[in-house]
Amino acid sequence: MSETVLSIHQLSKRYGRIQAVNQLSLEVRRGQVFGILGPNGSGKTTTLGMVLDLVRSDSGTYTWFNEKPSKECRKRIGAVIETPNFFPYLSAAKNLEIVAQVKGFTYSDIDRVLTLTGLFERRLDRFRTFSFGMKQRLAVASALLNQPEVLILDEPTNGLDPQGIAQIRNLVQQVALEGFTIILASHLLDEVQKICSHVAVLNKGNILFSGEVSKVLAVADSLEISSNDNEALKSALAKHPHFSALSETNGMVSAVFKTYTPPEALNQFLVQHGIFLTHLCERHRTLEQHFLELLNDSGS
Amino acid sequence: MKLLKIELKKIVTYRTFWIIFGLYFAFLALGIILAEFIVNAMVDDINKRLPIPLPHAVLFNFPDIWQNLTFFASIRYVLIFPAILIIILITNEFTNKTVRQNIINGMSRSEFLISKLQLVLLLALVITVVLTIVIFILGIAHSDIQNISQLFVRFSFVPGFFVQMVSFLCYALFFGFLFRNTGLTIALFTLYCLIIEPVIYFFLRAPFIWENKIYPYLPVNAVIRVVEYPAIPALKKLMNFQLQEGISLIACGTPILYSALMIGIIFWSFNKRDL
Repeated sequence: MSETVLSIHQLSKRYGRIQAVNQLSLEVRRGQVFGILGPNGSGKTTTLGMVLDLVRSDSGTYTWFNEKPSKECRKRIGAVIETPNFFPYLSAAKNLEIVAQVKGFTYSDIDRVLTLTGLFERRLDRFRTFSFGMKQRLAVASALLNQPEVLILDEPTNGLDPQGIAQIRNLVQQVALEGFTIILASHLLDEVQKICSHVAVLNKGNILFSGEVSKVLAVADSLEISSNDNEALKSALAKHPHFSALSETNGMVSAVFKTYTPPEALNQFLVQHGIFLTHLCERHRTLEQHFLELLNDSGS
Repeated sequence: MKLLKIELKKIVTYRTFWIIFGLYFAFLALGIILAEFIVNAMVDDINKRLPIPLPHAVLFNFPDIWQNLTFFASIRYVLIFPAILIIILITNEFTNKTVRQNIINGMSRSEFLISKLQLVLLLALVITVVLTIVIFILGIAHSDIQNISQLFVRFSFVPGFFVQMVSFLCYALFFGFLFRNTGLTIALFTLYCLIIEPVIYFFLRAPFIWENKIYPYLPVNAVIRVVEYPAIPALKKLMNFQLQEGISLIACGTPILYSALMIGIIFWSFNKRDL
């Protein structure tokens, strides 16, 4: 296992009657592109705000790089939370100079990140004159300044046009390929699916699910089966401990796993009960189905 | 120094700042130019009713000029300009959310606050130095040799003015941290300084004997009372001015105490709250 970058333990935050984040724990390791996926208001930004010292947590702890959180830790992080935060009356370059000064860097990396984000030509223009997409790219540029150990992006494509979305995504993917650790909060499943290696699904401040994106996508969650006698099939399956729900549509029985069971094991089991299958197929649920199911289960 | 450098970077190319800064000095210069004219118009008016006419006031000779210019530079309508500058600079951080970005990028909350305090001190210092230079030039131009020997007799008004400036700018900082929104903060601050406090005075004054014991201790008035009167002998006699030979430490203590309290509250609440 690679080194832990961010470790969150039982973090909670309440705003009045609303529990924004509820005893949330997660771990991000070096080299991961970690997606925090959840609908608006699920606690993504609050969580990131807490680990960046913007929001005071009610309870719980977190560490960066296995150290107690401090301003020095934050200098190793490049982060953009919610909207791009810059002085409208200062030029792009001047704004980045302020970022560099706060972090204790020289100005030597500014031209590189401006070029990387396609803003070099506009570097002397005031931030106010930028389009929303350019503002968002400048935010990414400031986060990338001096190659931080972790890149945190909160809804980086929110409010952008398709071209802007593509630009930001390409940029993030390009950066991800260089081996950066990235934490990406998004309400767009598609975005997480395309960019991330790991994901935590959040709803109403709770983690519903967390794991590798590829596993979520690869692991089958149900089997589609039929035999000449579906009633017998269903009563046999009902006795099997690994299945939770059974349903029948168009002569196909769908059996949802409680625990994953390989097809050959099930086949053997059914043969022992005198049932011979005419159809057996693994069904892979997509992350989207999973996402929506998880949200439904938690009652939203 | 590192923090102050960052603050200066935010100001150097900020046009609004320089416009208000320029307006402040223009307003101040106009006030100084008109002061002698207005005061002598008053003297002329009074002289109509007096058997023995009073001599015309001389505002710009040493050592009185120290007191007179610091007095005119610290009336509330003039002080409000640099206060607005501070309010704009601090509320900008909240409305542009750059305060969040500063924290994210590795500034501690205390450092953020310290950087703003350094800015307050710097602005107060610059204004005090400019005023001192103006006093020197005007004073030398208006004084004869005998007066020049008394050049530094009332120099204590300069550090007194610096205390006024720092305290008043701390009040502005406090309002900025409290209300965060530029327009709202400027409106409330101006309202308090120019209307609410004088109104409190008005209602305290009539029914109570202890009026004058309370009023000098209201925050804004405590600042203004550091330099209580101009040094105009003619008016002193007529309007029952007390003689103010220098700056009293007690008069300086009240605004310093208020500022310290406000900074304490900012520190405490800013470290606690969500950004």
